[in-house]
Amino acid sequence: MSTLNDILKNNLHGMYYGNRVLLPVRIDILKAVIENDIITDFSSTKSGASYKIHDDFTEIYFYDYKVLSEVVKGFEKIKLVVVEKGKDIFDFTNHRKIALQVKEKHKITISEINEDTLLFIE
Amino acid sequence: MKKITSKIILLLIFLFNTNSIFASGAEGTEHVLPNPFMVLPFAILLLMIATGPLFYHHFWERNYPKVSILLGSITVLYYLIWLNDTHSLLHTAHEYISFIALLSSLFVATGGILIKVDRKATPLLNVIILLFGSVIANIIGTTGASMLLIRPFIKINKDRIKPYHIIFFIFSVSNIGGALTPIGDPPLFLGFLRGIDFFWFFGHIWYVWFPTLIVLLVVFYIVDSFNKEGEKESVNFSNKIEFKGTKNLLYLLIILISVFLDPGILSWVPNFSPLPFGIREIIMFSVVILSYKTADKKILEANEFNFEPIREVAFLFVGIFASMIPALQLIAYEAKVYGQQLTPGIFYWATGILSAFLDNAPTFLNFLSASLGKYAYDVNIKTQVHEFSELYPFYLQAISIAAVFFGAMTYIGNGPNFMVKAISERSGIKMPSFFGYLIKYSVPILLPIFIILYFIVYYGKV
Repeated sequence: MSTLNDILKNNLHGMYYGNRVLLPVRIDILKAVIENDIITDFSSTKSGASYKIHDDFTEIYFYDYKVLSEVVKGFEKIKLVVVEKGKDIFDFTNHRKIALQVKEKHKITISEINEDTLLFIE
Repeated sequence: MKKITSKIILLLIFLFNTNSIFASGAEGTEHVLPNPFMVLPFAILLLMIATGPLFYHHFWERNYPKVSILLGSITVLYYLIWLNDTHSLLHTAHEYISFIALLSSLFVATGGILIKVDRKATPLLNVIILLFGSVIANIIGTTGASMLLIRPFIKINKDRIKPYHIIFFIFSVSNIGGALTPIGDPPLFLGFLRGIDFFWFFGHIWYVWFPTLIVLLVVFYIVDSFNKEGEKESVNFSNKIEFKGTKNLLYLLIILISVFLDPGILSWVPNFSPLPFGIREIIMFSVVILSYKTADKKILEANEFNFEPIREVAFLFVGIFASMIPALQLIAYEAKVYGQQLTPGIFYWATGILSAFLDNAPTFLNFLSASLGKYAYDVNIKTQVHEFSELYPFYLQAISIAAVFFGAMTYIGNGPNFMVKAISERSGIKMPSFFGYLIKYSVPILLPIFIILYFIVYYGKV
C-alpha cells in the first residue's frame, strides 16, 4: 500500500467516475473544497460528500455533483485537508493539504498544495 | 423628528409609487411606462439571488443561468411585443455589454498577475493594504484592484483569516475606494460619458471619501486587533514583495485607454450605432482573449484562474439588466413627478437604497436624469449635464457617493463583490450568506457610517 509521500513523489494518479473519486492511499479527510462548496461534514450519504477508507484506496463521493469533469475545469482543483491513516489526527503537523485535478480518461492528478503557489486555508 | 418622518414618507412614495402614463425615460425618449407588475421578474430574480445560495444551493448553482435568462426574457418579450419599445432594450444591451466588457477584461488581465507578500500579518499591514487597494481602485477599477489584491490579502492572513477580513475588503477596495474617478466604478463612468468632467469626482468627493474610508479602516483596525490567532506561531518572514506577470500591466493600460474611446468623447472614434457595442468593447473583449492566451500558465494555476466567477456575474447581470428596465423607468418617472420636493438627502438615500440591491450604474443614471429634470436640464445634452455639475454639485455628489458607497451593502450591489466572495470560498473561507452579510456586517458597520455621513453632509440641505 502506497503512502501519501510515495504517491506525491512518484506522481501516481487517482481516478474518478462521475462523482466518485478513488485515491490510491488510505486517508482521513478533514476538509474538502470543490467549487464554492466547503465541506467539513462527511456524515451524510445524500448531500455534501462522504468517504470510505478501503484496504488499498480511499473512496470519496461528492453527492451534489453528477460529473466532476463538468464542474472542476481549467486550472481549478478539488482541495483536501487530509491525514494519512495511522497517523495522529490531532497532531496538526500531520495535516496535509492536497489538490486533485480532474484530467481526461478518468484520471485525477494528486499534488501537494504549496502555500506559495495555491491558496487554501485549513 | 417630524421633518425626518416626512422625508422618509416622501422617500417611500418616491420608491414605490407608480403611474402608468406617458413619460420620458432616462434617455429622454417618449415611451409608454411599463405596467408596475412587470417589476415582478426583477423582484423574483433578486429574491432568488438572495435565497438561492442559502436554501437551494445546488439547484441554484446548476440553474442560475437558466433562471436569469428566463426572467430577463419575460421583460424583453414584454417590451418587444406589448410596448414595441426596442430603444430601451438596445440602450440596456449597450450598457450591459459595456459593463461586462470592462469587468471581464479587468478580471482576466489581473488574473495573469501574481503578487506575493511574505510579511507577518498585522492589523496595520492590513489597513495599509486596504488603503492601497482603495486608492488604486481609482486607477484600475474596483474590479481590477479586487482581483489583484484579494489573494495576497488572504495569503498574508492565512493563519488568522476570518470572514470579516474579506468583508472589509469588499467594503473598501471593491466599493467605497473607487469613488474618485470615472474608472473607479461604472456609474461614475456613465456620468463621465454624459458630460461630467473626469476630475469632477475627485474634486467634489475626496473630502467625503477620505474620512469615510478612514472611519471604516479604524473600525477594521480595532476589530482586527482583537484577532490573536496565528501570533504564537514562529515563522520567519523574508519581508519580500514579488510581482509576477508584469506584461499584463500593459493590458491594464490598454483597458484604461480604451475607456476613453467613445464617440461621445472623441469625435474620430467610429460609432457602430444601432449595434449595442463600440470600439471600446471590441478592444476590451480582445484583451480578454489576448491576456488569457498569453498569460503565464504557472500564474494562472497559482491564481486558480477560471472563468466561473465572471461567468456567474455575466449570467446574473444579463437577467438583472433586462428585468430591471421597468423598475428603473418607473423610478425615473416618479423622480420627475416629485422632482421639486427632492432634496440632496432624498437623492442620497434613494440612490443608495436602490444601489444596494440593484446594479448601481443604471440606478445612478436614472437619478442623475431625475436631478437634472428638477432644474429643467436634459441628461442627453452634454453641455447641460456639465453645467448642472458645476451649478448644482451637491445633487450630483449625493447621487455619486450613494451609488458607489451603498454598492457595498450586499453581495449583489457591485460586480466585484460576488467575485471576491467566490475566490474566498474557493480558498476555503466560509463566507456569510446574503442575509448574514447584510445583518452581521453591512447594517451594523456600514449603515451607521452612512447615516452619520447623511447628517453631516446632507441633512437639512435643499
